Amino acid sequence: MSTKGEKLQASEGPPGAAWRNLRDNQDKQDNRDNRVPAGPGHPSVPGPPVPCARGTATPPVPPPSRPVPPPLLPVARGLSPESPRAAMALCGRGWARCARGLRLGALSRPGPCGTRGVRGSNPFTRQQEEEWRRRNRSAVGYIAAAAVGMVGLSYAAVPLYRLYCQATGLGGTTAAGGGAERIERMEPVRDRLIRVTFNADTHASIQWNFKPQQSEIYVVPGETALAFYKAKNPTDKPIIGISTYNVVPFEAGQYFNKIQCFCFEEQRLNPQEEVDMPVFFYIDPEFAEDPKMAKVDLITLSYTFFEAKEGQKLPLPGYQ
Amino acid sequence: MSTAMNFSSKSFTPRPPDKGAFPLDHFGECSAFKERFMECLRQSGYESAACRQSAMAYLECRMDRQLMANEPLEKLGFKDLINEKSEEKPEKS
Repeated sequence: MSTKGEKLQASEGPPGAAWRNLRDNQDKQDNRDNRVPAGPGHPSVPGPPVPCARGTATPPVPPPSRPVPPPLLPVARGLSPESPRAAMALCGRGWARCARGLRLGALSRPGPCGTRGVRGSNPFTRQQEEEWRRRNRSAVGYIAAAAVGMVGLSYAAVPLYRLYCQATGLGGTTAAGGGAERIERMEPVRDRLIRVTFNADTHASIQWNFKPQQSEIYVVPGETALAFYKAKNPTDKPIIGISTYNVVPFEAGQYFNKIQCFCFEEQRLNPQEEVDMPVFFYIDPEFAEDPKMAKVDLITLSYTFFEAKEGQKLPLPGYQ
Repeated sequence: MSTAMNFSSKSFTPRPPDKGAFPLDHFGECSAFKERFMECLRQSGYESAACRQSAMAYLECRMDRQLMANEPLEKLGFKDLINEKSEEKPEKS
């Protein structure tokens, strides 16, 4: 059948010409003269029947522009090109479907093999086909469920990771418990003396004078300590500042706990006003037990003041 | 501040203070206590343990003047100093 198709390709003239002849019932002369080259993509003509995919490796050859006589094969058999039997010969094995399409004048393009004529006719392959279709459907179902599961997991990952961090203390997040009971119960570790240096910075746009009142202080883990900064507003208008802090080395930052300070809240200084800003902090006693902190004896606490503008919403850590 | 580019190394995340922020002492009501504390620090070579008494006094001043939330001093880590005080009092009396 496929060879027949190839033969038709090789022969001169579009196989579709026979179809059009049969449908339109035109004069033989007219057909020969007015034959529109049935190239693919021509709007008014359905185009030549597409040979079925199975077996044909060659793409359909575009029909020649000049009118050509109808295919020789039916004629050679003694049939006229316009007869239905010629069309049947063109269809090959799936001729029953082709005839149906003929009668209905279908615009679809049943190829010489017919639409799915090869696969559907054999009952064994049909069963297999159904089996494959069923399996495909279940596979698609599984894959879709997996995709939905992945999306749900990515949404659930955020609170889960937060819980995990809290439980294991990863990334410097301390356990939710803590607070006053720990401070009350903690014992100073006398053999580790740590030097805490203070640094004060201001953002370029804020005109405060901001400096620490002591350059360094010696503390031990487990003992609360007090330190002072001083800020002065030398301008003639009130300035609102907001500060953040930083602890170096970073790993020691998780042991540096502030009981009370002046950071993350807007502080307003009137013109020519000078205030003392205290920081009340302690270093967690577990600092002494951390092997990574064994060599650390200098911690630097650095505050930076920024100007808070009206209506500006700053992201404050831990505050609602 | 730490750059956000480092994924492997731990970066510093600032944490809010446990008890919030100190209200500003605009009128300098506790400046005297602060001066005493700073003087003590300078004399002791900036050792915090030596000046805890002065620190306690400063915080008490703040609490008295509504510049700090009232809190029992044991919760602020001055338990040993409170015990010393209470031991001294029965001794004296």
